[in-house]
Amino acid sequence: MSAEVQTLFIQHFGKDSNRTLSYYQSQQSGYVAAKTVVTTMTPDQVIEEVKKSNLRGRGGAGFPTGMKWSFIPKGGDKPKYLVCNADESEPGTFKDRDLIRYTPHGLIEGMIIGAYAIGCKHAYIYIRGEYTREARLLNEAIQEAKSAGFLGEKIFGTDFSLNITVHRGAGAYICGEETGLLNSLEGKRGEPRVKPPFPAISGAFGCPTAVNNVESLASIPHIIRLGGEAYSKLGAVEKSGGTRIISLSGQVKRPGLYEIQAGSKTLRQIIYDLGGGMKKEKKLKAVIPGGSSAPVLTADEIDVIYDIEPLMKIGTMMGSAAIMVVSESVDLPKLLWRITKFYAHESCGQCTPCREGCHWMESILHRICHGQGREDDLDTLTSLAGNIGGKTLCALGDAAAGPVASFIKKFRPEFEAKITPVVRGQKRYA
Amino acid sequence: MPKCTIDGKEVEFKAGENLIAVAKKVGIDIPVFCYHPGLSVVAQCRMCLVEVEKMPKLQTACSTPATDGMVVKTQSAAVKSARESTMEFLLVNHPLDCPICDKSGECDLQDNSFSHGKSTFRSHEERRTYVDVDMGPVIEKSMNRCIHCTRCIRFGDEIAGIREMVAIQRGNNTDITTIDGLPLQTEYAGNYSDICPTGSLTLKDFRFKKRAWFLKKVPSVCTGCSRGCNTELQYENTTVHRTVPRFNADVNQYWMCDEGRFLFRDTQSKDRVVEPRLGAVPATWDQAVESARQIIATAKSVVVGLGSDLSLEELALGQTFAEELKKAGVAVTLGSLTGAVITTEQDQPLDALLRRADKTGNLKGAENLGLKPISEQQSAKAEVLIAVTGGRVRVPASNGRTVAIGVFRAQDTEKFSVTLPLAAFTEKDGTYVNFQGKAQKARRAVVPAGKSKMLGEVVMVLKNVQIAEKVGA
Repeated sequence: MSAEVQTLFIQHFGKDSNRTLSYYQSQQSGYVAAKTVVTTMTPDQVIEEVKKSNLRGRGGAGFPTGMKWSFIPKGGDKPKYLVCNADESEPGTFKDRDLIRYTPHGLIEGMIIGAYAIGCKHAYIYIRGEYTREARLLNEAIQEAKSAGFLGEKIFGTDFSLNITVHRGAGAYICGEETGLLNSLEGKRGEPRVKPPFPAISGAFGCPTAVNNVESLASIPHIIRLGGEAYSKLGAVEKSGGTRIISLSGQVKRPGLYEIQAGSKTLRQIIYDLGGGMKKEKKLKAVIPGGSSAPVLTADEIDVIYDIEPLMKIGTMMGSAAIMVVSESVDLPKLLWRITKFYAHESCGQCTPCREGCHWMESILHRICHGQGREDDLDTLTSLAGNIGGKTLCALGDAAAGPVASFIKKFRPEFEAKITPVVRGQKRYA
Repeated sequence: MPKCTIDGKEVEFKAGENLIAVAKKVGIDIPVFCYHPGLSVVAQCRMCLVEVEKMPKLQTACSTPATDGMVVKTQSAAVKSARESTMEFLLVNHPLDCPICDKSGECDLQDNSFSHGKSTFRSHEERRTYVDVDMGPVIEKSMNRCIHCTRCIRFGDEIAGIREMVAIQRGNNTDITTIDGLPLQTEYAGNYSDICPTGSLTLKDFRFKKRAWFLKKVPSVCTGCSRGCNTELQYENTTVHRTVPRFNADVNQYWMCDEGRFLFRDTQSKDRVVEPRLGAVPATWDQAVESARQIIATAKSVVVGLGSDLSLEELALGQTFAEELKKAGVAVTLGSLTGAVITTEQDQPLDALLRRADKTGNLKGAENLGLKPISEQQSAKAEVLIAVTGGRVRVPASNGRTVAIGVFRAQDTEKFSVTLPLAAFTEKDGTYVNFQGKAQKARRAVVPAGKSKMLGEVVMVLKNVQIAEKVGA
């Protein structure tokens, strides 16, 4: 990594010993930011600082974190909750896992600051069920912080108290959706709720709740340490502050986690400079730029600044910053079938278009991939994707529809090649 | 009052009303499946999507409260296509077995498919199928027809107060079933069938008895307890086939209990006595009336007991009859016959929803008319007991002779000297006063069964002979 690139997290990744409190205190923020906040700042000042930082939610939607916190009503007799969304389950994303593994105290410190800003006394970390080791590490880190006096009653000798509970999910993708997460946290079925009311008004247990991604919360100490404006200037484009951790996977030479200053590189630079180019020098065919739900890009479209707005302009999204690189050797219909199968499997079954539509698309793609395609299938798929997108209760429908619509639009010939014309008298189904 | 515009029509609304309710005021029907005015809003069927100006996406009308100045379109191209697609999605896995489905003719899915769906079908995939569990004596489940609206789950949870229906599995495999596959426990199971928008939950009692379009409907009031749920009797020719609840915000909302729902079955049971009897022996009306006349004419004192399950009109008629007997020189003790609950003070709710302890329909009405309950001693000592009942009250034992006028089962009649069969509640018009003091009108559905008669007719026959005798003597 070149020297002029300023990174916040990635230099601490990779060594197990980095997760301890002593390392965090000697090499990182070390709860100094939290102490500054709790002892010298008002909640409004904290929110103002986070707003200035242009920190945008790192979970996928990119909603400004400071704004989200400012929606939590001040005062009132209901308790308020801060929930950390560690249900990292978008295929291709693995940044939160390493954040928890190597800088758990950064997350805890961010949560202390966030809880102070919104007036929360009990915070939750909802971690995906598969992350058993990470849940254990988090609990260890919380214990460490507690015995050092950073958590619990009267933190830093003030009236501010905070406890954090780690809650493990049971392995459902939909529980990464914030209201699905809250239902699951409450012990209900992991099904998204109707919005409005938004969690800021009625979230966990019917109380005002802020739900933030791991990376967002872990960035908070840095914002306080550097100052909102300085953090914002880390970003190379307007509206996006700080750094982004990218999960690069697929057929590149060096897949893994990379941290860039937001908007400082194009997709091509990320794949060829950071990732070292294509594995076995194969030709690049497609890129899924923001987790498997992001509409696909062709090899010609990758000269785009890798950030929220530029990607949105060309009809896709940055999501959780998970780039999946697809080479010429990949069978795209099969890839799309696998992606769609994931969403059909993970649909909660609550609302009609997603429950019926995802499975229907999956069945059609399954047929196409197994030599049973029909001539009208591609048109049906496109129209189904249109009928699901934007009409569902939560964003899972859009997540399932995006890939289908974009794959077929951009790589139609590959799909057509799979569909053999019907021969009269031939048995259609085996 | 704030105003909004729906399809170009301006409409006033109260704060908090959703678009479905507001649209209804100007006669615009927004199709729904999961929305039910008596249940919480979940916005998951996506059928009620409408276009709201200044909102980028279509909005579900059920979860969108009207706001002042809102402009809503329910007939735009985007809305129509959204409805078409929702209908298509719902039918992809629906068996479309309308010809053998009991719900056919009164099915929301069928109606909405007809009005908002496409006539073509694009799916070539195999349909999803389920194995059904037994839901107990009231409800038959056909999960293949289910559209996952979760009305039943919410009804159990929010109204019946027992969470017994649940969704298990998820996504395309979501199964709506009971916890651990146990039979339904609630006393309100019939409502599951009423609110089900498809033929997924049907009444075992009504299944395959009658197609919905043959049924005639008449508003009635349940006389099964002092709640007086508003109902609708559905019948054809001389047979009542079903009772369904009728909305009344103050009394029963949208619901009724199973006991009330199947009350009509007693009136059609083989056990019911529908011809006059002398003791347990069937007789003609002439013989029976003659015998009753003899008994009354020779008596020095009679006890007249009017059942609290009779309508107000019948009670008044009974009172007049007793008065006339008095005038004719008979010592008359007039009072009411009741069920286990003797006064309205003792009448307690049996659960948080509807059912009440008093199992007769008009105790309050009887009290309003000044009728006091007849005590055990009064009836035991009576020389002649004239008991008039609607079939729900207990006829007390008497050492004297009993002239029983009413709805009885065969085994009851053995102890009576004379039994004169009356029309049951499905067979007569009448007014009943519920525990709240509301007088509610029930209409007649079918003609009196067998040889049973209206009370007016019976009294007329008795009275004329009786009075003629006395006057002549």
